[in-house]
Amino acid sequence: MDQAVVVCDAAGLPSWCNVQAERLFPQLRIGEPLRGPLSRAMAEGVDCFETVSDGRRLSGHRVVLQGHGTLAGHCVWLVRDDSAAHERQNELMAERARSAFLAEAGKQLAASLHHGRTVRAVVRVAVPALADTAILFLPVRGRCVAWHLYGPDECAGQLPAVALDQAPSVAHALRGLVEQPVLCDWQEVVRLGGALPRDPSPAGQALVVTLPGPGMPAGVLVLAHGPQRTGFGAADVELARQFAARASLALEAATFYAEQVHTAAVLQDGLEPDPLPHVAGVHLGAAYRPARETLRLGGDFYQVRADAEGGVGFFFGDVCGKGVEAAVFAGRVRQSLRSLALVESRPVRMLQLLNEALWEGDPTPFTTLVTGSVGSARDGALVVVLAGGGHVPPLVLRKDGRVDEVHIGGTLVGALPDPDFHQTEIRLAAGELLLLYSDGVTEARGGPTEQEMYGERRLMRDLAACLGMPAGAVAERIDLRTGQWLAGADHDDLAVLAVQAPALAPSADVERPR
Amino acid sequence: MTAERSDPIESVRTAFDDHLARADETAAVALVLDLLARGVGAEDVLLDLIAPAQAAVGERWVTNEWSVAQEHAATHVSNRAVAALAAVTVVPDHPLGSVAVACPDGEWHTLPAHIVAEVLRLRGFAVRFLGAGVPTAHLISYLHQNGSDLVALSCMLAVRLPRIYRTIEACRLARVPVLAGGAGFGPDGIWARALGADLYARTAVDAADLLAEQWPPPLTGAPAVDHLADGEYAQLVSRRGDLLRHLVDHLRRCFPPMRRCAGERHEDAVEDLGFLVDFLAAGVFVDDPRVFTDFLVFLADLLAPRGIPPAGLDLVVRALCEPLSDLPRTLTHLAAGRGRLERAGHTWTDA
Repeated sequence: MDQAVVVCDAAGLPSWCNVQAERLFPQLRIGEPLRGPLSRAMAEGVDCFETVSDGRRLSGHRVVLQGHGTLAGHCVWLVRDDSAAHERQNELMAERARSAFLAEAGKQLAASLHHGRTVRAVVRVAVPALADTAILFLPVRGRCVAWHLYGPDECAGQLPAVALDQAPSVAHALRGLVEQPVLCDWQEVVRLGGALPRDPSPAGQALVVTLPGPGMPAGVLVLAHGPQRTGFGAADVELARQFAARASLALEAATFYAEQVHTAAVLQDGLEPDPLPHVAGVHLGAAYRPARETLRLGGDFYQVRADAEGGVGFFFGDVCGKGVEAAVFAGRVRQSLRSLALVESRPVRMLQLLNEALWEGDPTPFTTLVTGSVGSARDGALVVVLAGGGHVPPLVLRKDGRVDEVHIGGTLVGALPDPDFHQTEIRLAAGELLLLYSDGVTEARGGPTEQEMYGERRLMRDLAACLGMPAGAVAERIDLRTGQWLAGADHDDLAVLAVQAPALAPSADVERPR
Repeated sequence: MTAERSDPIESVRTAFDDHLARADETAAVALVLDLLARGVGAEDVLLDLIAPAQAAVGERWVTNEWSVAQEHAATHVSNRAVAALAAVTVVPDHPLGSVAVACPDGEWHTLPAHIVAEVLRLRGFAVRFLGAGVPTAHLISYLHQNGSDLVALSCMLAVRLPRIYRTIEACRLARVPVLAGGAGFGPDGIWARALGADLYARTAVDAADLLAEQWPPPLTGAPAVDHLADGEYAQLVSRRGDLLRHLVDHLRRCFPPMRRCAGERHEDAVEDLGFLVDFLAAGVFVDDPRVFTDFLVFLADLLAPRGIPPAGLDLVVRALCEPLSDLPRTLTHLAAGRGRLERAGHTWTDA
């Protein structure tokens, strides 16, 4: 029997108790009036109670003895001390809360790959579960230490690295000299100055937690409690350590991603099409939609540049394959073309030289290509000299709404040792437009059956419907029509380039196809 | 908006409309720059000149006054005017926060989003306008690279809602709050909330005010799409091809205008029917028959000026009931559609 037993007589005075009762109620005296929880229960006339008395959780219930013997009218109180069980329950709940916090923290920390956002997430998630104020110090960079604080307010800033001498605990942790969380005087942090808080924390102590990294730490988290909380217990320290491990992984991933993105962005910069130039007398429009790689790199490429004669020179091509490999090869082609343009102006000869530069005794990689130079004729029309190899025939939208194909012919560039290239010349009267496109446009699969190719026939028809539209709008419209046809399906790289002779007198009442 | 502020804009409105009609980019841009030079506020030019002029453009297309190509050319010019305005207006050095504005995959109406982007920029946010038809993967990688505080998503047609749901979900996973805007999100943005967007704004000014009120906006969105568990949306998507074939066969038998159209016209008709099935599916996706009924009304207004009897829509909706008889929730949307057509006087009577 681990319950306290107190027998009371008919008058309500205790007449007997066991050892447990003596331990639980040291002031209990046989024959004297009850005190404490039993007395309150008797006064209230209840048969059971749950209460906290002298720091213990007690639950008791009363049994009234029946019959006519000497014990008639007596009652027995059975009281149990639940403190230990309750303590265990509390610990379990606390453990659960810690696990839930770590799970949620993991989710929030993993959400972003952006370093700045991850830094913010670290300090925000730490409050209020771990601390009332959290400061994350990042590794020294360029003799500076960036920090981000979240607490009653949120702020961020930078310190000169030498200032860290004022806070040795933080400095040591940041240099990877301390593995375990350590307590430091909050005054250390205050001494760092700058925009960091100046008021000493009432608890007087802060917990300095290293964010372990593969080489050097990914940062140091300083946690401080407000006046409402007691200091850091062992469980608090352990939780902070586990949180720091997760925060560190998230920051490492973000740093790694940022480095990759930077590398990709530098490469991408040289591979993406340049913006179109503004040239009087030539209207231009383009659309470029790489296959769904997140880096927006593709094997379609074009370039348009103003030339010395007041016209423009351009090239447009489609490298075999897609993705980064195609983009890098496209970059080679573009560089070669730019260099060749300095020494060779005859289009077919230039293509032959390019082929020589790209031919490596292997048919792949190769590219299709159209080069062109656009100049003005005396009547305001444009004369376009086109040359190329292996590319789908460009289209011309005539002023009567007819769409012509321009056959250039020729072989792929870089695929054969003895290629064959051609050139041709076309005239664009006022308002007429030349459209170059990559086969990703006509080979886009979608439509009602989701399997059919958009095809040249639809492209020609949609182009015919663009009569009267400026070049920029035509490029947008072809991009839109292809996108609608695809209806979200995957596609190859898509590119279009439109070159247009300006209309003489823009007219509102052009013939209206559907 | 005070009268004296609107006056200079009022006086050039006709000229601006004319530039749009002739797709005269140079003149439209010059007009806008001239207004700015005369001290008219950039936000007023966006909201009181370009936006209403563009609304009139859309109206001219609906009434068949303009071809889709003319509408597109005018929209292109409006976009260029917005870009020219953006290039000459100066904004504060220290932005309030960073916003990525995008038309998600499948959404090609850029102008409203473009205007919102510029208004937010004028109100002090660092804004990047990502353009039309931005695939979700591109958007998310942009967010990871740039750490934007908010994504503003534009949806002009409710048919895009199922795809936009995926975009919003991806933003939620990346814990970047989403501001939804555009007519496609339904009356008062009701479908934006159903899809889990954190914020909705009806207009560009509302959007700017909303963000100024609480920045950064908290993540509060919670999608309400439990009804998708019945699988009806998935059924509609996977049966799309069969439904279209069924509709074409049926209309060829019963609807003279369909019998007459061949070749390309036929393909256009199939495209329009596909659109109708997609709107039905989008309505089932957000569990609101108004997606479908509103589209029927819109389509009826579109067909009448083009010489096609809108009662044909009733025929289409009736023809859908039979192959979809095993989808009870879809049937309620079809019934709502028929009711709406009946109230508009577009009931089909077999000759």
